[in-house]
Amino acid sequence: MELFGTSTDGVGHEPVFGALIAIVAALFIVTLVFSVYAFVLRLRHEARDRERARYASKWKDRILLALADDDEARALQESVEEDERLPFVGFAVQYARRVRGDGREALSRLVKPFLGPIVERADSRRVEIRARAIQTLGTLGLPEHSARLIAALDDPSPLVAMVAARALSFGEAPEYAEAVLSRLHRFTGWNRRFLASMLASMGPSVTATLRAGLADSGAEARSRAVAAEALQIQADLGAGDVAAGVLRTTTDRDLLASTLRLVREVGRPEHAESVRMHVRSPDLAVRAQALHALGTVGGEAEIPQLVEAMRDPSPWAALNATEGLLAAGGGRLLAEMAASGDGVGALARQVLAGGSH
Amino acid sequence: MSETIWSVIGTFNYVVLAYFVLLNVVYLGTSVFALRALRRYALRLKSLDLTELITSGGAPSISLIAPAHNEALTCVESVRSLLKIEYPDFEVLVVNDGSKDDTLARLREAFQLEPASRIPTATVPTATVREVYRSRTHPSLFVIDKENGGKADALNAGLNYCYTPTFCAMDADSLLEPEALIRIVRPFLEDATTIAAGGILRIANGCRIEKGRVVEVRLPKSLLARFQVLEYLRVFLAGRMGWASLDASLIISGAFGIFSREPVVSAGGYATDTVGEDMELVVRLHRYHSEKGLPYKIHFVPDPVAWTECPESVAVLARQRDRWQRGLYQSLTRHSRMLLNPRYGKAGLLAFPYFFFLEMLGPVIELLGYLSFILTISSGRADWWFVGAFLAMAIVLGGVLSLAAVALEELSFRRYPRRSDLLQLFGLAALESFGYRQLNTWWRVKGTYSALRGVEGWGRMTRTGFQS
Repeated sequence: MELFGTSTDGVGHEPVFGALIAIVAALFIVTLVFSVYAFVLRLRHEARDRERARYASKWKDRILLALADDDEARALQESVEEDERLPFVGFAVQYARRVRGDGREALSRLVKPFLGPIVERADSRRVEIRARAIQTLGTLGLPEHSARLIAALDDPSPLVAMVAARALSFGEAPEYAEAVLSRLHRFTGWNRRFLASMLASMGPSVTATLRAGLADSGAEARSRAVAAEALQIQADLGAGDVAAGVLRTTTDRDLLASTLRLVREVGRPEHAESVRMHVRSPDLAVRAQALHALGTVGGEAEIPQLVEAMRDPSPWAALNATEGLLAAGGGRLLAEMAASGDGVGALARQVLAGGSH
Repeated sequence: MSETIWSVIGTFNYVVLAYFVLLNVVYLGTSVFALRALRRYALRLKSLDLTELITSGGAPSISLIAPAHNEALTCVESVRSLLKIEYPDFEVLVVNDGSKDDTLARLREAFQLEPASRIPTATVPTATVREVYRSRTHPSLFVIDKENGGKADALNAGLNYCYTPTFCAMDADSLLEPEALIRIVRPFLEDATTIAAGGILRIANGCRIEKGRVVEVRLPKSLLARFQVLEYLRVFLAGRMGWASLDASLIISGAFGIFSREPVVSAGGYATDTVGEDMELVVRLHRYHSEKGLPYKIHFVPDPVAWTECPESVAVLARQRDRWQRGLYQSLTRHSRMLLNPRYGKAGLLAFPYFFFLEMLGPVIELLGYLSFILTISSGRADWWFVGAFLAMAIVLGGVLSLAAVALEELSFRRYPRRSDLLQLFGLAALESFGYRQLNTWWRVKGTYSALRGVEGWGRMTRTGFQS
């Protein structure tokens, strides 16, 4: 049988023709299903928008009043209907993200009677629902849920664990920091700088733990690098000695680069020797960071080496050397170099103009 | 004609039918994967406060690299919109690629540019850079003025002057939504092996734009542009989302994508000898990382939006599609060793064969199918019931795919707020199979032919500028 191309008597076409007709019918039904689905979704979204607007007009002003007035808070709690409990929590949590201190506490007290379903959702089988519940509990920051949040750090889903870690990182309590730091290996897939920033935001209470984490030669290099970067963000002046020790013992590229950045931030002249070990590293990232750090901690004695490094074949290393030179007190020398028209002059002009990143 | 020829034509008709069925099964498959991925993404968005996540620190700094060639009409507004982007740490590098109009003059005047020292940090070959300027009013804005070398060359120049670990490649005439970077950078936070992420392109024609921002989303007035709205929904929401959920993205649109700088420099930057430099780069990144055994991920993020102006004239659209097809051909033939090669994982085993056989060769098969179909019918040898059923299937299936994309849009981001817009999208899905699809096929076949003849260049693209 040839499709389209033989006699017009239809003989032999029946099976294919029948299949085509069946496919057309099925597709037509799918078309209708998609159309109806899209339209129903539209109607549902519109209904949800209307509902949100209704809740906003009903609760927005009262929530703001309730933050300052306990009687108004009680009256508002009593006015929330059974089927409005979840939306009420969701609505209030939006504000909880914007306020701190007493305001956050008042909001948490306000929604506390309605948190039962949220706690149940924290055990949902669906990852995203668990994560959202943990986020809500974390945002409200009620002490009675802290154990639940710490337990969520061991959730099989990295997303839930991260949501819990972020919630705990706002708590600024040492025990939270311990809990998060001891599970840092769970977040190895996340961006290092982001993790460091999260840890640093926990404040001075975690500094000692971070130093210990950086010094721990038995820990993963990546975790130690995160600790180094967190200490750098915190500008922990006490971390210089630990960092210098790490520079003498590790060979891991990322850990070295992170630790050199830390030394650049908090190092002292006695750490220059540890930094100097790396200024000729074949690894570009390490060499560049070492040159910058050397200028910062080493002072004028390092100027000849930094001037030489301005001709490094790697522009990154040359740029960092130039910045190191400026930090080492070579500003006048750079100003003289800036007059020249060669590559070194361009580097000098750029750094003097504050044009490096 | 002899019976042998009719027999060949009859057999070929089966090939066309098989191609048609396979193509649409793949489309439906990616739509299903996209549906699942979009639902999960929407739920994930609710479980992590994105803005808080980014603004609390640790987000990678980004350079926005915007090549501009004769963009005097739109460049100032576009750059203003870039400078207003909500992101904690970013620079804007506009690369003036030898414009013959007064693009540079307008930028100099609007942003008080002055020559600045900025050494290149990479050595990807480019046409000569004449001067680097920095804005006095916006210190994070740099303009790299260079001799003309084409878009890829301009991107490479931007890459050479990029000081941040990530960069965003875009068109100077695209409008990024203020939250676009916050949204698109998320995979870089969640997965340290991420080397690239693409965002969604939407059509700005018909939308109301104020001060470089889309403030009201409307469907375009022109039918041709409306078809493209539907097409973009299908390509991005059903296609790219689906392929990304399979870890097999082969394209990140040149108008809006974010990349880790180091892997791109290591892989040699953008290829300047292709008009499909965006796809070629992504394919090369797959190849580079697979061959070196390096871990990597390429993502598609469905909600960061870049608004772009689409062609409203048939001639300009034809040139655009011709160029896209040439880019596809050049990217795939250059890396043809990836085809069905398990060494390249899902990219080599799934995505590459799809693009090679169905997207690159598909239009040729489809056009020949039309011709064979017409020949068979005109010879009077066709079974009319059969023909009718086949046509009905083609039309209904086309509608299903487009409606699936509309449903995905409703499920996820619902950017077209009026019900009438939704109904119009339904109507367009039904109409698309009558003419627009065939025109596209014709342009793509011409594109393949142009690629085979070695035609180069972008072809003249006329811009009218965003209507405020």
